[in-house]
Amino acid sequence: MNSEHEPKIVAFLCKWCSSAGSDMAGVSRLEYPSNVIPITVMCSGSVSPLYILSAFNLGADGVLVSGCHPGDCHYIKGNMYARRRMALLKELLPYIGLEPERFQMSWVSAAEGLKFTQIIKEFVKQLKPLGPQTQLRRSL
Amino acid sequence: MVEVEKIREEARRLLQEGQVRGVIGYVRGPQGVWAVPAMIRNPEDVDRLVWNPTCVHNLVLFVVEEKKEQARQKEPDKRPLAVVVKGCDSRAINVLLQEKFIEREEVILLGVSCENSGVVDKKKLLNLVPSQKIEEIVYGNNGHIVAVIDGERRVFPPEEVLADRCLECQANFPVVYDHFFGEKIKKEAINTSPGVDKIEKMRLEERRRFWEEELSRCLRCYACRSVCPMCYCTECVVDPISFAVEPTTTAEEKAKKIKWIEKSPLLSENFVYHLVRAIHLAGRCVDCGECERVCPEDIPIRLLNKKLEREAWRLFNYVAGMDSQAPSLFSTFKETDPEDFIR
Amino acid sequence: MRKKIGVFVCHCGINIAGTVDVKKVAQELSEFPGVSYTVDYVYMCSDPGQNLIIQKIKEEKLDGVVVACCSPNLHETTFRRAAQSAGLNPYECEIANIREQCSWVHKDKDKATEKAIKITKGIVEKLRWNEPLQPIKVPVTKRALIIGGGIAGIQTALDLANSDIEVVLVEKNPSIGGHMIQLSETFPTLDCSQCILTPKMVEVSKHPKIKLYTYSEVQEVTGYVGNFQAKILKKPRYVDPDKCTLCDECTQVCPVVVPNEFDLGLTGRKAIYIPFPQAIPATYTLDIEACPGVLPIACGKCWDVCEPKAIDFDMKPEIVEEKVGAIVVATGYDLYDKKNMAEYGYGKYPDVLDGLQFERLLSASGPTRGKILRPSDHKEPKEIVFIQCVGSRDPELHNKYCSKICCMYTAKHAKLYKHHVHDGQAYVFYIDIRAGGKGYEEFVNRTMEEEGVLYLRGKVSKVFEENGKLVVWGVDTLAGQDIEIRADMVVLAMAIRPSSGAEKLAKILKAAQDTDGFFAEAHPKLRPVESLTAGVFLAGVAQAPKDIPDTVAQAGGAAIKVVSILSQPELLHSPLVAQVNEHLCTGCSMCVDVCPFSALSIVEGKAKVNEVLCEGCGTCAATCLRSAIEVKNLTHLQVHDMLTASLGGLK
Ligand SMILES: Cc1cc2nc3c(=O)[nH]c(=O)nc-3n(C[C@H](O)[C@H](O)[C@H](O)COP(=O)(O)OP(=O)(O)OC[C@H]3O[C@@H](n4cnc5c(N)ncnc54)[C@H](O)[C@@H]3O)c2cc1C
Ligand code: SF4
Ligand code: SF4
Ligand code: FES
Repeated sequence: MNSEHEPKIVAFLCKWCSSAGSDMAGVSRLEYPSNVIPITVMCSGSVSPLYILSAFNLGADGVLVSGCHPGDCHYIKGNMYARRRMALLKELLPYIGLEPERFQMSWVSAAEGLKFTQIIKEFVKQLKPLGPQTQLRRSL
Repeated sequence: MVEVEKIREEARRLLQEGQVRGVIGYVRGPQGVWAVPAMIRNPEDVDRLVWNPTCVHNLVLFVVEEKKEQARQKEPDKRPLAVVVKGCDSRAINVLLQEKFIEREEVILLGVSCENSGVVDKKKLLNLVPSQKIEEIVYGNNGHIVAVIDGERRVFPPEEVLADRCLECQANFPVVYDHFFGEKIKKEAINTSPGVDKIEKMRLEERRRFWEEELSRCLRCYACRSVCPMCYCTECVVDPISFAVEPTTTAEEKAKKIKWIEKSPLLSENFVYHLVRAIHLAGRCVDCGECERVCPEDIPIRLLNKKLEREAWRLFNYVAGMDSQAPSLFSTFKETDPEDFIR
Repeated sequence: MRKKIGVFVCHCGINIAGTVDVKKVAQELSEFPGVSYTVDYVYMCSDPGQNLIIQKIKEEKLDGVVVACCSPNLHETTFRRAAQSAGLNPYECEIANIREQCSWVHKDKDKATEKAIKITKGIVEKLRWNEPLQPIKVPVTKRALIIGGGIAGIQTALDLANSDIEVVLVEKNPSIGGHMIQLSETFPTLDCSQCILTPKMVEVSKHPKIKLYTYSEVQEVTGYVGNFQAKILKKPRYVDPDKCTLCDECTQVCPVVVPNEFDLGLTGRKAIYIPFPQAIPATYTLDIEACPGVLPIACGKCWDVCEPKAIDFDMKPEIVEEKVGAIVVATGYDLYDKKNMAEYGYGKYPDVLDGLQFERLLSASGPTRGKILRPSDHKEPKEIVFIQCVGSRDPELHNKYCSKICCMYTAKHAKLYKHHVHDGQAYVFYIDIRAGGKGYEEFVNRTMEEEGVLYLRGKVSKVFEENGKLVVWGVDTLAGQDIEIRADMVVLAMAIRPSSGAEKLAKILKAAQDTDGFFAEAHPKLRPVESLTAGVFLAGVAQAPKDIPDTVAQAGGAAIKVVSILSQPELLHSPLVAQVNEHLCTGCSMCVDVCPFSALSIVEGKAKVNEVLCEGCGTCAATCLRSAIEVKNLTHLQVHDMLTASLGGLK
């Protein structure tokens, strides 16, 4: 059953690089699995850890936060703050037993359509064998 | 050795001269030996003040509450408060200063040394001796704890009776104070956190099971949050328990209140609550251990905060509450911050 | 009261409808809470499509519209304008991107449809909480700052000044002119570079609307479009241009000789010097790093001979502040560092030159007065090898891009060589010839045919010296054979790199660079002269390698973009800015610390937003522990509800 599982991924993409990069994947007609729902935010620096925990709580199997490469953030350093916050979250989640693969971060520039598709493909591949994420998922 | 008479003297002077509006300290409690927090407002009462290994509370909580109370008053007494602070408590003061919750002039800090020892974990001691009979608990030599039982002195090595956090403490004297009592003896921590080590060594499924077992007991009574001096927010984002629905509250305001988690203590919601609290305390938690002490379900909450304390140090060389002038952990960054986890 | 939301699903011909069942999207959305009208249509962005939106907003009394179509980068403005013309606030219109982020990247129709539904539902939830907003109005300073005084900066400055806009032109070197002033003759018409440039330089210096700062650098820029404040560092020249009479006495006595930048080291200059006779401003500069000391005891010879007492050793660096409304970056290029080209002996053998050095040899005012002579022995080279694409188009070792101008100037060099040395033989190693441009192809062909220059397709592996000759080893890939040429001179068409200070300047301006280090344009096709930073524009090679005609054209484009901003009485700033919930704010100032634009401060214990400075990045919102600060129309509530909608619909 596990290999059948279609993971649900939420991707927080900064508007200027990563969302534009995923647009670039579109313009270049690069195919990737449809498991990812993009949520465009202004900057990776605007992604609160609450968003990520909430996404898991609302049923996401995986969460991606993606921003501009260091030095390229449209707001100069939003991604640097994001990097710090996410580093700690990245340590905390496996500590309570959540598979480390479920939360990922990437730098994807507006030109890196291909990299975006590779990240999503890889992400889906890693999540499939893990099955659904139930630890943080709200079950009423 | 801290001479409690010296603390009393200073407290008396401050009160007599009208320099402070009160002294927050420890007094002998109703349950005999176990000290409790007290606000002393009259010079006559200062003799009630004690300092011994049962002074576990983080009195900074009362600084926070007084501050909030002041905000509610029309003509508040603006004189400072004197407060007895241990090493960990003093770092909590630093965090409050860092976050501009209080100004330095608002407190007079009566710093006490933990005597190369720490405070007693009541549960540990009661496991070793029946409680009724303990008449007094005092500091002995070399960090040992002395309990007087039926007039008889029994000496306990620190490992047996001290609170875990004291065994793990690296700074057992205040980092900020106005008056200092006792000696600054830098104690080497026995282990910075065997509890965290243990969890880190578990396999992923074990970790998950461990936390599921622990957190499934959480009643969401919020005792941890109520006792935490860092949880001073007007409303908690995870569960806006204090969101006052007043007659003027519009339907829209109510609808706009985000329900990040369900109110009921479902395991998933308990996880999210504790994770958010841990993240919100990263770089702020000073490990005073109060949350864990008050938890009616004995959930090892400290192990969450301790993990992030460890990572904040490992990844960013950051220790909470060491410097009231430095930017907070998350409101700064270094170009060289690790990013090997980023693709 | 809940908003009445209309959802308009676009087919985009078959671009969306080919992979996404648009009817099903519309159908599912019609059942989604808050959605009171849905429709699908073949081209929403067409006039009839837009009219449909306008008509339905009115008929159905919609409070908001979601258009499920292509990326918001393309048509957000279009649809917001349409919504506005129907009486809606433009911020009540949102785009669900179901093309770039859905139909174009998936093949399975069911899955793509399901995803499109989730995306659209998420956007409906976001829109539900959108506030109607009005743009923030900001006044405009009607002056422009131009950084870099090459042909790009000069042309932009003149175009602007002639449009009655005050210009501040900052050039880091002692004179304006850039690389063009170093060139001999320019392709494809072979007119003399200096002859066509110097009149423009003079015009710059004389123009009442242009304030020129040479030997100066921009140190700091604060503010925002319409209202920048620039701090400019004026390096001390130690010579007062007003007093200097250009008598040249000082250089006669100066004992220090250093390589002359203008001739790329082919000649020397003194520590006190004028870069070239036509320099603007026409004055001398004392190179303090080369000067042994300004104390009379160290030297001070120049001071002694200067009759008008123009030399002032006490000059200090000066920082001046200029207020401007727009900025143009025209910082041009440098040649690829010769360190990188050891295999061609560049920097090791004096007769291996780069293109610019060869330009100086060709120049009538150059070190050899226009004669082609070897730097080593001043003999005329009879066999000369030109190598193209040196350091360009080599993603493994060097720069991946094409430097664009080298094919043309190499053809020019070979041709001019033949004009000078009739009996000489010129060889050109090339990968392929890129001669796109008016008259360019013809120019190259004439070089090959009329001048008898031998073009060899292939790469050179090595250049080394043997018995006074430069031995060039290469392959001719067309003939399929190895070639050895014993040449007298080798000229390398070195790659064009962004000028050395580009990275620093990019940080100062908060303007992005592309992966190669050139300043990034806002859109490769549609916004080629704008940077991603509002109010900052690009001209010339600073943006990408290009020749003079293209540079001049882009300079004109940048000028008109500046005019289009500065001609407005006031500018509109996006209202998507942070707002503070004072009830929740405890004044901890963490947000103040993180804001990249210094838009926040603590006033009476609460955070306060300077809306004109706020760029709406939301870094503060994620930092605040209390959710007390959020960006309008992308609040935590909106993200939460978007998450719920897009995850809730999942099985
Ligand atoms: C060998 C060679 C031959 C060429 N021949 C031809 C030809 O025949 N025909 C043709 O059309 N094109 C030719 N070109 C191309 C031509 O040189 C460029 O198109 C043109 O010079 C570009 O002008 P620019 O103003 O963009 O840059 P530049 O000429 O590089 O000018 C940039 C200016 O900005 C200044 N600057 C840089 N950084 C800063 C800073 N941080 N602050 C202040 N000032 C700064 C520099 O000092 C310089 O003055 C040739 C190029 C080469 C290399
Ligand atoms: S971070 Fe939040 S609480 Fe702190 S000052 Fe800013 S808005 Fe107020
Ligand atoms: S949204 Fe960004 S720019 Fe605006 S106040 Fe917050 S951190 Fe500063
Ligand atoms: S805008 Fe992309 S990370 Fe900040």
